[in-house]
Amino acid sequence: MRKALLIALLVGFVAYAGLNLAESVTPYVSIAEARSSSNSVQVKGLLDKTFAPQQTCDEFTFSLQDEDTGETLRVKFDGVKPDQFDEAYHIVAVGKFDSSDDSFHAKKLLIKCPSKYEGQNPN
Amino acid sequence: MTGNLFLVGAIIAAVAVPTVCYVQKIPSARLVKICAGLSATFVAAASLLLWTLIFADDFTVEYVAAYSSTQLPTIYKVSAFWAGQQGSFLLWLLVHAMAGVALTFRRTNAATVAVYFLLQAVLTALVLAKSPFAPNPAQVVEGVGLNPLLQDFWMAIHPPIIFVGYALLAVPFALSLGSLLTEAASRSWLDEARIWTLTAWSFLGAGIFVGGYWAYKVLGWGGYWGWDPVENSSLVPWLMAAVLLHLVNLARKKSAVLIQAHVAATFTYALVVYGTFLTRSGILGDFSVHSFASSTVGAAIALADAVILIGGLTVILWKAKQLPQGALYDTHGESAFAVLLGSLLIIFVAAIVWVGMSMPLLSQLVGEAAAVDTDFYVKSTAPIAAVIVALLIYTFAKFGRTISLGGKIAHVGFVAMLAAIVLSSTGETVTQELKPRAKLQIGGHEVIYEGQTFSDDGREKFYVYTVDGEVVRALTKLRGNGTDAAREPAIHKSFSGDVYIAPHAPEVDDVFELMLTRGLFAMDGELGYVFTDAQIDRDSSGNPIQATATITVTDGEIVEAIHPTITVTPDGGTSQAIEVFNGQRRVRLTGISGDLQKARLEILPTIEKLSNMPITATVTTKPYIWLLWLSVSTICAGTLLAIKR
Repeated sequence: MRKALLIALLVGFVAYAGLNLAESVTPYVSIAEARSSSNSVQVKGLLDKTFAPQQTCDEFTFSLQDEDTGETLRVKFDGVKPDQFDEAYHIVAVGKFDSSDDSFHAKKLLIKCPSKYEGQNPN
Repeated sequence: MTGNLFLVGAIIAAVAVPTVCYVQKIPSARLVKICAGLSATFVAAASLLLWTLIFADDFTVEYVAAYSSTQLPTIYKVSAFWAGQQGSFLLWLLVHAMAGVALTFRRTNAATVAVYFLLQAVLTALVLAKSPFAPNPAQVVEGVGLNPLLQDFWMAIHPPIIFVGYALLAVPFALSLGSLLTEAASRSWLDEARIWTLTAWSFLGAGIFVGGYWAYKVLGWGGYWGWDPVENSSLVPWLMAAVLLHLVNLARKKSAVLIQAHVAATFTYALVVYGTFLTRSGILGDFSVHSFASSTVGAAIALADAVILIGGLTVILWKAKQLPQGALYDTHGESAFAVLLGSLLIIFVAAIVWVGMSMPLLSQLVGEAAAVDTDFYVKSTAPIAAVIVALLIYTFAKFGRTISLGGKIAHVGFVAMLAAIVLSSTGETVTQELKPRAKLQIGGHEVIYEGQTFSDDGREKFYVYTVDGEVVRALTKLRGNGTDAAREPAIHKSFSGDVYIAPHAPEVDDVFELMLTRGLFAMDGELGYVFTDAQIDRDSSGNPIQATATITVTDGEIVEAIHPTITVTPDGGTSQAIEVFNGQRRVRLTGISGDLQKARLEILPTIEKLSNMPITATVTTKPYIWLLWLSVSTICAGTLLAIKR
């Protein structure tokens, strides 16, 4: 009886947590993979300086550049420009690629800043 | 160098304790105390030395140059000690060593003391491996200073509190293992384990809560709780320690639960070390808001953690036959069942958070790296939390008499905390651009944006708002170059909750640069500039300290000479904006060529222009958020009260 109850609870929990997890996992992919995936993914890159970021009322658009291949991706973030965006040395965008407007719709942005925060090189 | 010698001394004295326990049949309590005291003294000496180096601005030590500066206020020089990884490990070790001395004065067996001091030796070796006393390869006259985000009272006290929690959780682990090794069936370790675990749990909780309060009152951290790996890595041990607390208490009455108490003690400490591994190894670098420095000690911590977990569980399995057997509970109607079920539910929550925070690591083992959405945590844990609350209410109604006063207070605090989390998230949010004197209505409050003001030294900027007639200010700490370094919201507090105003960084688009060539005239539209002279100050060994340019500025009639400077810092240079023509212009020197023939000058908008600029802000109401701060304090107070019974 005690064992049966414990096993039932454990099985129930694993099934419950597993289902939730499967829905929430966002794999870490390259820009090329992000373009071809219809699932929620995380993509990392540098800010593409050739495109000036734009902020409308509730959408922030910028261009992300792959560190290795140089490929770029238009990212539309559902929100305002995050703090420290300008100092970011790389950016992680979490969301989905939408081929209808050829851009990546980010739900979340992680901004990675250099730990040395007072940096600015003379010359 | 001296610091490292102190640490070597601390290792030798720490290793001497288990040696004494092993060699002598009946270990001399006096000898053990002397070794423990000696080890703690060495650690304390190393710690005092680090503080001395920080206060002496000794930048020949890399750690001091990286986290302190001559300009740092005294309180933050104290906390610069634990601003970096090396120093925070030393702080952990300091608490561990002091608790170790206390442990030798308590009623414990020799094996427990031996296990504890082996851990201390390993911890000291880790500090030594990545020593805060490492010499600075670069020669600098000024340190980088403490990250402005960390220059906050709550952030200064958060690490010491949390490390007391981490360090003290080694005691129940050592008590459990020591008892298993020498007198497996004994339950005498439980009384001692109860006191240490309660103390550790309330400190760990207080540390987490202080961290959450700090995260609430700065911007960029996602509110009081963001399910960031740093946060999760302290939440999981806290949850496991809560399980340990309940099982230790139950095992004192029910001998059959002893084995579960042992397992919980091992898992709790293993999870403390695991969290440290995850956040300090650099593995999560791409998955956290925090930029973690990658660290070579990651592998060593992982190994230590594996030894703790596998070692602990092996000893439990080996001694399992000697442990009291029997039914965990007799009927589903008794309190033991409620406690066990509650513990299992907390383990479920801990497991969810553990899987979520470990996902980047786990997914790499099976294939491509992945992380989980933060929604996962809320969605998965909320229903379990609801069941826990229902179980608590049932248990209180049925067995309330048997729960101690401290226990009652802590549990009421816990339920109130969950209620406050839900309640405070039911507010309204508005994001809007506000011109000075513009009004905004939200949740029955009137918010007026008043404009920006600057502190005299130019290192602080305030966005001023009036909420229901009361002035509140959002502080932004500025770098030497005038850009934002750390930003805080403006918070208006009242009984019905907080009005939380987060101004967004303004788009300053009229900053431009002038390249000046020595002796030639250049214009910024209205004013003319001539770069006439430059000078570089050097230290005794010829390294540049500061560059000063002399520039004459003219509006056609009046000529004013300015002397902007760049001060060399370990990572480049810093320079202050200076005002020209009574604030008509603000300029800043951003570069000087090596041959002193060219200078780069940045022309910044005037203070007056900045203060009249419209600012976008996200305004949120947080109904009854004070209940959250009150309830978490209640949890800690109740837990401390429960120590005395």
